[in-house]
Amino acid sequence: MTYLSQIYAIVWKDLLLEFRTRERIAAMGAFAVLAGILFNFSMDQTVVRPQDIAAGLIWMTLVFGGLLGIGRTFHLEAQDGAFQGVLTSPAPKDAIYIGKITANFVLLYIVALLVVGIFTLFFGLDLGDHPGMLALALALGSLGFVALGTLFSAVSSSTHMGETLLPILVFPLLVPMIIYGVSATSRLLADRPIADVAGNLRMLGAFAVLAVGAGAVMFRFVVEE
Amino acid sequence: MLSTASQRPDGSHVQSAVTPQAPAVSRGASPALSARGLTREFGVVVAVDGIDLELEAGDFLTVFGPNGAGKTTLLSLLGGRLKPNRGEVRVGGERLAFSETAWRARIGVLSHQTFLYAHLTVAENLRFFGKLFGLTDLDERIPARLEQVGLSDRSDFLARQLSHGMRQRAALARALLHDPELVLLDEPYTGLDPYAASVLRGVLSSLKDGRRTVVMVTHNLTQGLELANRLAIQVRGRFGWYGERSAVEPDTFEHFYHRVVEAGSA
Repeated sequence: MTYLSQIYAIVWKDLLLEFRTRERIAAMGAFAVLAGILFNFSMDQTVVRPQDIAAGLIWMTLVFGGLLGIGRTFHLEAQDGAFQGVLTSPAPKDAIYIGKITANFVLLYIVALLVVGIFTLFFGLDLGDHPGMLALALALGSLGFVALGTLFSAVSSSTHMGETLLPILVFPLLVPMIIYGVSATSRLLADRPIADVAGNLRMLGAFAVLAVGAGAVMFRFVVEE
Repeated sequence: MLSTASQRPDGSHVQSAVTPQAPAVSRGASPALSARGLTREFGVVVAVDGIDLELEAGDFLTVFGPNGAGKTTLLSLLGGRLKPNRGEVRVGGERLAFSETAWRARIGVLSHQTFLYAHLTVAENLRFFGKLFGLTDLDERIPARLEQVGLSDRSDFLARQLSHGMRQRAALARALLHDPELVLLDEPYTGLDPYAASVLRGVLSSLKDGRRTVVMVTHNLTQGLELANRLAIQVRGRFGWYGERSAVEPDTFEHFYHRVVEAGSA
Protein backbone atom coordinates (compact mmCIF):
# COMPACT_ATOMS: atom_id res chain seq x y z
CA MET A 1 0.00 0.00 0.00
CA THR A 2 2.81 2.36 0.94
CA TYR A 3 4.58 1.45 -2.29
CA LEU A 4 1.57 2.45 -4.38
CA SER A 5 1.10 5.55 -2.25
CA GLN A 6 4.71 6.54 -2.94
CA ILE A 7 4.23 6.05 -6.68
CA TYR A 8 1.04 8.07 -6.54
CA ALA A 9 2.82 10.85 -4.65
CA ILE A 10 5.48 11.11 -7.36
CA VAL A 11 2.88 11.14 -10.14
CA TRP A 12 0.76 13.74 -8.34
CA LYS A 13 3.76 15.96 -7.70
CA ASP A 14 5.12 15.73 -11.26
CA LEU A 15 1.77 16.44 -12.88
CA LEU A 16 1.00 19.27 -10.47
CA LEU A 17 4.40 20.84 -11.18
CA GLU A 18 3.77 20.51 -14.91
CA PHE A 19 0.30 22.01 -14.54
CA ARG A 20 1.82 24.98 -12.69
CA THR A 21 4.86 25.55 -14.91
CA ARG A 22 3.67 24.08 -18.26
CA GLU A 23 7.37 23.88 -19.00
CA ARG A 24 7.48 20.58 -20.84
CA ILE A 25 4.00 20.14 -22.28
CA ALA A 26 4.26 23.58 -23.89
CA ALA A 27 7.59 22.73 -25.54
CA MET A 28 6.38 19.36 -26.79
CA GLY A 29 3.04 20.72 -27.94
CA ALA A 30 4.58 23.66 -29.76
CA PHE A 31 7.05 21.36 -31.48
CA ALA A 32 4.24 19.05 -32.59
CA VAL A 33 2.20 21.91 -34.06
CA LEU A 34 5.18 23.46 -35.84
CA ALA A 35 6.37 20.12 -37.18
CA GLY A 36 2.88 19.44 -38.52
CA ILE A 37 2.82 22.80 -40.28
CA LEU A 38 6.30 22.34 -41.77
CA PHE A 39 5.57 18.79 -42.93
CA ASN A 40 2.41 20.14 -44.55
CA PHE A 41 4.53 22.48 -46.66
CA SER A 42 7.32 20.00 -47.27
CA MET A 43 5.40 17.70 -49.59
CA ASP A 44 3.29 18.00 -52.67
CA GLN A 45 0.08 16.26 -51.75
CA THR A 46 -0.89 15.98 -55.41
CA VAL A 47 2.07 13.63 -55.85
CA VAL A 48 2.41 11.96 -52.44
CA ARG A 49 -0.57 10.50 -50.58
CA PRO A 50 -0.43 11.59 -46.92
CA GLN A 51 -1.92 8.25 -45.94
CA ASP A 52 1.22 6.53 -47.23
CA ILE A 53 3.79 8.54 -45.31
CA ALA A 54 1.87 9.84 -42.29
CA ALA A 55 2.88 6.96 -40.03
CA GLY A 56 6.59 7.78 -40.26
CA LEU A 57 6.00 11.48 -39.82
CA ILE A 58 3.77 10.94 -36.79
CA TRP A 59 6.34 8.78 -35.00
CA MET A 60 9.27 11.03 -35.88
CA THR A 61 7.38 14.05 -34.61
CA LEU A 62 6.53 12.17 -31.43
CA VAL A 63 10.12 11.06 -30.86
CA PHE A 64 11.76 14.43 -31.51
CA GLY A 65 9.07 16.44 -29.75
CA GLY A 66 8.83 14.02 -26.89
CA LEU A 67 12.53 14.20 -26.23
CA LEU A 68 12.21 17.95 -25.68
CA GLY A 69 10.00 17.27 -22.70
CA ILE A 70 11.28 13.95 -21.41
CA GLY A 71 14.82 15.32 -21.51
CA ARG A 72 13.84 17.94 -18.95
CA THR A 73 12.36 15.43 -16.52
CA PHE A 74 14.98 16.25 -13.90
CA HIS A 75 15.27 19.96 -14.60
CA LEU A 76 12.87 21.09 -11.86
CA GLU A 77 14.14 18.31 -9.63
CA ALA A 78 17.58 19.89 -9.60
CA GLN A 79 16.39 23.23 -8.25
CA ASP A 80 17.31 23.63 -4.60
CA GLY A 81 18.25 19.97 -4.38
CA ALA A 82 14.63 18.81 -4.42
CA PHE A 83 15.46 15.41 -5.87
CA GLN A 84 18.07 14.89 -3.16
CA GLY A 85 15.19 15.22 -0.73
CA VAL A 86 13.33 12.48 -2.59
CA LEU A 87 16.40 10.25 -2.47
CA THR A 88 16.71 10.71 1.32
CA SER A 89 13.19 9.31 1.73
CA PRO A 90 12.47 5.61 2.25
CA ALA A 91 10.72 5.43 -1.13
CA PRO A 92 12.29 2.60 -3.15
CA LYS A 93 14.13 3.80 -6.25
CA ASP A 94 11.96 1.67 -8.51
CA ALA A 95 8.85 3.31 -7.03
CA ILE A 96 10.34 6.73 -7.78
CA TYR A 97 11.14 5.60 -11.32
CA ILE A 98 7.69 4.13 -11.95
CA GLY A 99 6.10 7.31 -10.61
CA LYS A 100 8.17 9.46 -12.92
CA ILE A 101 7.56 7.38 -16.04
CA THR A 102 3.84 7.32 -15.28
CA ALA A 103 3.73 11.11 -15.15
CA ASN A 104 5.88 11.34 -18.28
CA PHE A 105 3.63 8.83 -20.02
CA VAL A 106 0.56 10.97 -19.34
CA LEU A 107 2.31 14.03 -20.79
CA LEU A 108 3.70 12.21 -23.83
CA TYR A 109 0.44 10.48 -24.58
CA ILE A 110 -1.34 13.82 -24.62
CA VAL A 111 1.28 14.99 -27.12
CA ALA A 112 0.87 11.79 -29.16
CA LEU A 113 -2.86 12.38 -29.47
CA LEU A 114 -2.15 16.01 -30.35
CA VAL A 115 0.25 14.93 -33.10
CA VAL A 116 -2.35 12.60 -34.61
CA GLY A 117 -4.92 15.39 -34.38
CA ILE A 118 -2.62 17.83 -36.16
CA PHE A 119 -1.87 15.38 -38.96
CA THR A 120 -5.57 14.64 -39.31
CA LEU A 121 -6.22 18.36 -39.56
CA PHE A 122 -3.40 19.35 -41.93
CA PHE A 123 -3.28 16.24 -44.09
CA GLY A 124 -6.90 15.24 -44.00
CA LEU A 125 -5.72 11.93 -42.61
CA ASP A 126 -8.26 9.12 -42.39
CA LEU A 127 -7.65 7.22 -39.14
CA GLY A 128 -9.06 4.04 -40.60
CA ASP A 129 -11.51 1.56 -39.14
CA HIS A 130 -9.61 0.94 -35.92
CA PRO A 131 -8.73 4.24 -34.25
CA GLY A 132 -8.74 2.43 -30.90
CA MET A 133 -5.94 0.16 -32.07
CA LEU A 134 -4.03 3.20 -33.30
CA ALA A 135 -4.42 4.72 -29.83
CA LEU A 136 -3.13 1.46 -28.33
CA ALA A 137 -0.09 1.43 -30.62
CA LEU A 138 0.72 5.01 -29.64
CA ALA A 139 0.25 4.16 -25.95
CA LEU A 140 2.60 1.17 -26.08
CA GLY A 141 5.20 3.12 -28.05
CA SER A 142 4.92 6.09 -25.70
CA LEU A 143 5.40 3.84 -22.68
CA GLY A 144 8.56 2.29 -24.09
CA PHE A 145 9.82 5.72 -25.05
CA VAL A 146 9.30 7.32 -21.64
CA ALA A 147 10.77 4.27 -19.90
CA LEU A 148 14.07 4.72 -21.73
CA GLY A 149 13.86 8.50 -22.00
CA THR A 150 13.35 8.98 -18.26
CA LEU A 151 16.21 6.65 -17.40
CA PHE A 152 18.64 8.35 -19.74
CA SER A 153 17.37 11.77 -18.77
CA ALA A 154 18.59 10.94 -15.26
CA VAL A 155 21.93 9.91 -16.74
CA SER A 156 22.33 12.98 -18.90
CA SER A 157 21.18 15.41 -16.19
CA SER A 158 24.23 14.50 -14.15
CA THR A 159 26.68 15.12 -16.98
CA HIS A 160 28.16 18.28 -18.44
CA MET A 161 26.78 17.50 -21.90
CA GLY A 162 23.26 17.24 -20.51
CA GLU A 163 20.55 17.40 -23.11
CA THR A 164 23.05 17.10 -25.95
CA LEU A 165 23.93 13.65 -24.75
CA LEU A 166 20.36 12.42 -24.38
CA PRO A 167 19.46 11.84 -28.06
CA ILE A 168 22.79 10.14 -28.64
CA LEU A 169 22.02 7.71 -25.85
CA VAL A 170 18.32 7.17 -26.52
CA PHE A 171 17.80 7.21 -30.29
CA PRO A 172 19.68 3.99 -31.06
CA LEU A 173 17.63 2.18 -28.42
CA LEU A 174 14.37 3.46 -29.87
CA VAL A 175 14.89 1.80 -33.25
CA PRO A 176 12.74 -1.29 -32.45
CA MET A 177 9.94 0.94 -31.15
CA ILE A 178 10.04 3.08 -34.29
CA ILE A 179 10.09 0.05 -36.62
CA TYR A 180 7.09 -1.65 -35.02
CA GLY A 181 5.29 1.60 -34.26
CA VAL A 182 5.53 2.84 -37.82
CA SER A 183 4.61 -0.55 -39.21
CA ALA A 184 1.54 -0.88 -36.98
CA THR A 185 0.43 2.67 -37.70
CA SER A 186 0.91 2.30 -41.47
CA ARG A 187 -1.17 -0.86 -41.55
CA LEU A 188 -3.89 0.64 -39.40
CA LEU A 189 -4.07 3.74 -41.60
CA ALA A 190 -4.24 1.44 -44.65
CA ASP A 191 -7.21 -0.40 -43.08
CA ARG A 192 -5.40 -3.71 -43.01
CA PRO A 193 -7.01 -6.48 -40.90
CA ILE A 194 -6.25 -6.51 -37.16
CA ALA A 195 -4.47 -9.83 -37.59
CA ASP A 196 -1.84 -8.01 -39.70
CA VAL A 197 -1.22 -5.52 -36.89
CA ALA A 198 -1.32 -7.84 -33.89
CA GLY A 199 2.30 -8.93 -34.25
CA ASN A 200 3.55 -5.36 -34.31
CA LEU A 201 1.45 -4.49 -31.27
CA ARG A 202 2.85 -7.49 -29.42
CA MET A 203 6.39 -6.38 -30.24
CA LEU A 204 5.59 -2.84 -29.09
CA GLY A 205 4.21 -4.27 -25.86
CA ALA A 206 7.25 -6.46 -25.35
CA PHE A 207 9.52 -3.49 -25.98
CA ALA A 208 7.61 -1.42 -23.42
CA VAL A 209 7.72 -4.19 -20.80
CA LEU A 210 11.45 -4.72 -21.33
CA ALA A 211 12.17 -1.00 -21.22
CA VAL A 212 10.18 -0.48 -18.01
CA GLY A 213 11.74 -3.54 -16.38
CA ALA A 214 15.27 -2.58 -17.32
CA GLY A 215 14.69 1.01 -16.27
CA ALA A 216 13.26 0.01 -12.88
CA VAL A 217 16.32 -2.13 -12.19
CA MET A 218 18.92 0.34 -13.48
CA PHE A 219 17.46 3.57 -12.13
CA ARG A 220 18.94 3.11 -8.67
CA PHE A 221 22.44 2.78 -10.10
CA VAL A 222 21.93 6.00 -12.04
CA VAL A 223 20.70 8.16 -9.15
CA GLU A 224 22.83 6.75 -6.34
CA GLU A 225 26.20 8.41 -5.98
CA MET B 1 51.40 16.84 14.35
CA LEU B 2 48.08 16.36 16.01
CA SER B 3 49.38 16.27 19.53
CA THR B 4 47.89 19.67 20.20
CA ALA B 5 44.51 18.17 19.66
CA SER B 6 44.73 16.36 22.94
CA GLN B 7 44.95 19.60 24.83
CA ARG B 8 42.23 21.76 26.26
CA PRO B 9 41.83 25.17 24.70
CA ASP B 10 43.42 26.61 27.80
CA GLY B 11 46.46 24.43 27.29
CA SER B 12 45.71 21.70 29.82
CA HIS B 13 45.38 18.15 28.59
CA VAL B 14 41.97 16.65 28.06
CA GLN B 15 41.92 13.12 29.36
CA SER B 16 38.57 11.80 28.22
CA ALA B 17 37.43 11.11 24.72
CA VAL B 18 40.03 13.28 23.09
CA THR B 19 42.38 11.23 21.02
CA PRO B 20 42.70 12.41 17.45
CA GLN B 21 43.03 9.02 15.76
CA ALA B 22 40.72 6.98 18.00
CA PRO B 23 37.88 9.29 18.80
CA ALA B 24 35.13 6.76 19.48
CA VAL B 25 33.59 7.03 22.91
CA SER B 26 31.56 4.04 23.95
CA ARG B 27 28.83 4.79 26.46
CA GLY B 28 26.29 2.09 25.77
CA ALA B 29 25.72 -1.34 24.27
CA SER B 30 23.76 -0.09 21.25
CA PRO B 31 24.49 3.53 20.44
CA ALA B 32 21.95 5.64 18.60
CA LEU B 33 24.48 6.36 15.89
CA SER B 34 27.84 4.76 15.30
CA ALA B 35 30.39 4.79 12.53
CA ARG B 36 33.43 2.56 12.21
CA GLY B 37 36.34 3.29 9.88
CA LEU B 38 34.13 5.43 7.68
CA THR B 39 36.02 6.27 4.50
CA ARG B 40 34.94 7.89 1.26
CA GLU B 41 37.25 8.62 -1.63
CA PHE B 42 36.60 10.66 -4.78
CA GLY B 43 39.37 9.53 -7.10
CA VAL B 44 42.62 10.39 -5.36
CA VAL B 45 40.90 12.69 -2.87
CA VAL B 46 40.05 11.10 0.47
CA ALA B 47 37.13 13.22 1.67
CA VAL B 48 36.44 11.17 4.79
CA ASP B 49 39.29 9.13 6.15
CA GLY B 50 38.57 6.37 8.61
CA ILE B 51 36.27 8.25 10.97
CA ASP B 52 34.96 6.48 14.08
CA LEU B 53 31.99 7.89 15.90
CA GLU B 54 29.55 6.87 18.60
CA LEU B 55 26.58 8.90 19.81
CA GLU B 56 23.72 8.21 22.17
CA ALA B 57 20.13 9.38 21.97
CA GLY B 58 20.06 12.96 23.20
CA ASP B 59 23.55 13.77 21.93
CA PHE B 60 24.02 16.88 19.81
CA LEU B 61 27.31 16.72 17.94
CA THR B 62 28.67 19.70 16.06
CA VAL B 63 31.39 19.00 13.51
CA PHE B 64 33.56 22.00 12.71
CA GLY B 65 36.12 22.24 10.01
CA PRO B 66 37.52 24.42 7.25
CA ASN B 67 36.21 24.34 3.68
CA GLY B 68 37.03 21.04 2.03
CA ALA B 69 37.49 19.19 5.30
CA GLY B 70 34.88 16.62 4.25
CA LYS B 71 32.13 17.68 6.67
CA THR B 72 29.29 17.49 4.15
CA THR B 73 30.60 14.20 2.83
CA LEU B 74 30.62 12.85 6.37
CA LEU B 75 27.01 13.93 6.81
CA SER B 76 26.05 12.34 3.51
CA LEU B 77 27.65 9.09 4.64
CA LEU B 78 25.89 9.17 8.02
CA GLY B 79 22.57 9.79 6.28
CA GLY B 80 23.10 7.08 3.69
CA ARG B 81 23.11 9.49 0.77
CA LEU B 82 26.63 8.39 -0.09
CA LYS B 83 28.01 4.90 0.00
CA PRO B 84 31.29 4.56 1.90
CA ASN B 85 34.27 2.95 0.24
CA ARG B 86 35.12 1.37 3.59
CA GLY B 87 33.57 1.24 7.02
CA GLU B 88 29.98 1.17 8.17
CA VAL B 89 27.27 3.27 9.78
CA ARG B 90 24.75 1.94 12.28
CA VAL B 91 21.61 3.70 13.45
CA GLY B 92 20.22 2.19 16.63
CA GLY B 93 22.49 -0.78 16.05
CA GLU B 94 21.10 -1.43 12.58
CA ARG B 95 23.62 -1.28 9.77
CA LEU B 96 22.69 1.03 6.91
CA ALA B 97 22.34 -1.17 3.84
CA PHE B 98 22.05 0.52 0.48
CA SER B 99 19.90 -2.23 -0.95
CA GLU B 100 17.13 -1.29 1.49
CA THR B 101 15.45 2.00 2.14
CA ALA B 102 13.24 1.48 5.21
CA TRP B 103 15.90 2.82 7.60
CA ARG B 104 15.77 6.20 5.87
CA ALA B 105 12.50 6.82 7.72
CA ARG B 106 14.59 7.13 10.90
CA ILE B 107 16.71 9.96 9.53
CA GLY B 108 15.88 13.61 8.87
CA VAL B 109 18.19 15.71 6.73
CA LEU B 110 18.42 19.51 6.59
CA SER B 111 20.90 20.83 4.09
CA HIS B 112 21.84 24.32 2.98
CA GLN B 113 19.67 23.35 0.02
CA THR B 114 16.05 23.18 1.12
CA PHE B 115 15.03 20.08 -0.90
CA LEU B 116 11.73 21.89 -1.55
CA TYR B 117 9.91 22.19 -4.85
CA ALA B 118 9.68 25.88 -5.66
CA HIS B 119 6.35 25.53 -7.49
CA LEU B 120 4.59 23.62 -4.74
CA THR B 121 3.14 25.30 -1.67
CA VAL B 122 4.70 24.68 1.71
CA ALA B 123 1.84 22.36 2.67
CA GLU B 124 2.02 20.52 -0.67
CA ASN B 125 5.74 20.00 -0.21
CA LEU B 126 5.20 18.54 3.24
CA ARG B 127 2.33 16.37 2.05
CA PHE B 128 4.45 15.04 -0.82
CA PHE B 129 7.41 14.17 1.39
CA GLY B 130 5.07 12.80 4.05
CA LYS B 131 3.63 10.37 1.50
CA LEU B 132 7.11 9.28 0.51
CA PHE B 133 7.81 8.55 4.18
CA GLY B 134 4.61 6.52 4.39
CA LEU B 135 2.91 8.86 6.86
CA THR B 136 -0.86 8.64 7.10
CA ASP B 137 -1.73 11.30 9.68
CA LEU B 138 -0.60 14.24 7.58
CA ASP B 139 -3.69 16.33 8.26
CA GLU B 140 -2.62 16.59 11.89
CA ARG B 141 1.12 16.38 11.42
CA ILE B 142 1.60 19.14 8.85
CA PRO B 143 -0.09 21.95 10.84
CA ALA B 144 1.80 20.87 13.96
CA ARG B 145 5.16 21.01 12.22
CA LEU B 146 4.38 24.34 10.57
CA GLU B 147 3.42 25.77 13.92
CA GLN B 148 6.66 24.45 15.39
CA VAL B 149 8.70 26.40 12.82
CA GLY B 150 6.40 29.45 12.88
CA LEU B 151 5.02 29.06 9.37
CA SER B 152 1.36 28.30 10.05
CA ASP B 153 0.30 31.39 8.13
CA ARG B 154 2.47 30.48 5.13
CA SER B 155 1.25 26.96 4.44
CA ASP B 156 -0.46 27.98 1.18
CA PHE B 157 2.46 30.02 -0.12
CA LEU B 158 4.55 28.59 -2.94
CA ALA B 159 8.03 27.75 -1.68
CA ARG B 160 9.51 30.21 -4.16
CA GLN B 161 7.43 33.03 -2.65
CA LEU B 162 9.11 32.65 0.73
CA SER B 163 12.22 34.42 1.96
CA HIS B 164 15.36 32.37 2.36
CA GLY B 165 14.86 32.18 6.11
CA MET B 166 11.28 30.99 5.75
CA ARG B 167 12.29 28.42 3.16
CA GLN B 168 14.91 27.10 5.54
CA ARG B 169 12.29 26.82 8.29
CA ALA B 170 9.95 25.04 5.88
CA ALA B 171 12.83 22.72 5.06
CA LEU B 172 13.26 22.05 8.76
CA ALA B 173 9.56 21.20 9.01
CA ARG B 174 10.08 18.78 6.12
CA ALA B 175 13.12 17.22 7.79
CA LEU B 176 11.26 16.73 11.09
CA LEU B 177 7.88 15.75 9.62
CA HIS B 178 8.39 12.03 10.22
CA ASP B 179 9.78 12.57 13.72
CA PRO B 180 13.22 11.13 12.95
CA GLU B 181 15.46 9.75 15.66
CA LEU B 182 18.59 10.98 13.86
CA VAL B 183 18.70 14.54 12.53
CA LEU B 184 21.52 15.63 10.22
CA LEU B 185 22.05 19.36 9.72
CA ASP B 186 24.36 20.70 7.03
CA GLU B 187 25.17 24.38 7.59
CA PRO B 188 21.56 25.16 8.55
CA TYR B 189 22.30 28.81 9.37
CA THR B 190 23.75 29.66 5.97
CA GLY B 191 22.32 32.91 4.60
CA LEU B 192 19.92 33.52 7.50
CA ASP B 193 19.42 36.95 9.02
CA PRO B 194 19.74 37.25 12.82
CA TYR B 195 16.00 36.88 13.40
CA ALA B 196 15.66 33.83 11.16
CA ALA B 197 18.76 32.34 12.79
CA SER B 198 17.20 32.92 16.19
CA VAL B 199 13.99 31.15 15.19
CA LEU B 200 15.95 28.27 13.74
CA ARG B 201 18.05 28.06 16.92
CA GLY B 202 14.87 27.79 18.97
CA VAL B 203 13.59 24.92 16.85
CA LEU B 204 16.93 23.14 16.91
CA SER B 205 17.02 23.59 20.67
CA SER B 206 13.71 21.78 20.92
CA LEU B 207 15.35 18.76 19.29
CA LYS B 208 17.36 18.25 22.46
CA ASP B 209 14.57 16.21 23.97
CA GLY B 210 16.65 13.18 24.90
CA ARG B 211 15.05 11.05 22.18
CA ARG B 212 16.94 12.31 19.18
CA THR B 213 20.53 12.35 18.07
CA VAL B 214 21.61 15.42 16.15
CA VAL B 215 24.71 15.90 14.04
CA MET B 216 25.35 19.38 12.67
CA VAL B 217 28.23 20.46 10.48
CA THR B 218 29.22 24.10 10.30
CA HIS B 219 32.20 26.37 10.07
CA ASN B 220 30.52 28.95 12.30
CA LEU B 221 32.12 28.44 15.70
CA THR B 222 29.66 30.50 17.74
CA GLN B 223 26.53 28.87 16.37
CA GLY B 224 28.14 25.46 16.50
CA LEU B 225 28.94 25.71 20.19
CA GLU B 226 25.51 26.90 21.27
CA LEU B 227 23.53 23.67 21.30
CA ALA B 228 26.12 20.92 21.16
CA ASN B 229 27.12 18.63 23.98
CA ARG B 230 29.80 17.00 21.83
CA LEU B 231 32.20 18.57 19.37
CA ALA B 232 34.52 17.46 16.61
CA ILE B 233 36.98 19.34 14.44
CA GLN B 234 37.41 17.70 11.06
CA VAL B 235 40.54 18.39 9.04
CA ARG B 236 41.42 16.68 5.77
CA GLY B 237 38.80 14.01 6.26
CA ARG B 238 39.82 13.08 9.80
CA PHE B 239 38.75 14.16 13.23
CA GLY B 240 41.62 16.31 14.43
CA TRP B 241 39.82 16.61 17.74
CA TYR B 242 36.71 15.04 19.21
CA GLY B 243 35.33 15.43 22.68
CA GLU B 244 32.82 16.84 25.13
CA ARG B 245 31.50 20.35 24.77
CA SER B 246 32.30 20.86 28.43
CA ALA B 247 35.97 20.35 27.64
CA VAL B 248 36.23 23.66 25.78
CA GLU B 249 35.80 27.29 26.74
CA PRO B 250 33.91 29.44 24.23
CA ASP B 251 36.31 32.35 24.75
CA THR B 252 39.38 30.39 23.74
CA PHE B 253 37.80 27.88 21.38
CA GLU B 254 38.62 29.84 18.24
CA HIS B 255 42.30 29.83 19.12
CA PHE B 256 42.13 26.11 19.87
CA TYR B 257 40.26 25.47 16.62
CA HIS B 258 42.95 27.21 14.60
CA ARG B 259 45.67 25.19 16.28
CA VAL B 260 43.87 21.92 15.51
CA VAL B 261 43.30 22.93 11.89
CA GLU B 262 46.91 23.98 11.45
CA ALA B 263 48.14 20.77 13.04
CA GLY B 264 45.85 18.67 10.87
CA SER B 265 46.82 20.52 7.71
CA ALA B 266 50.56 20.21 8.30
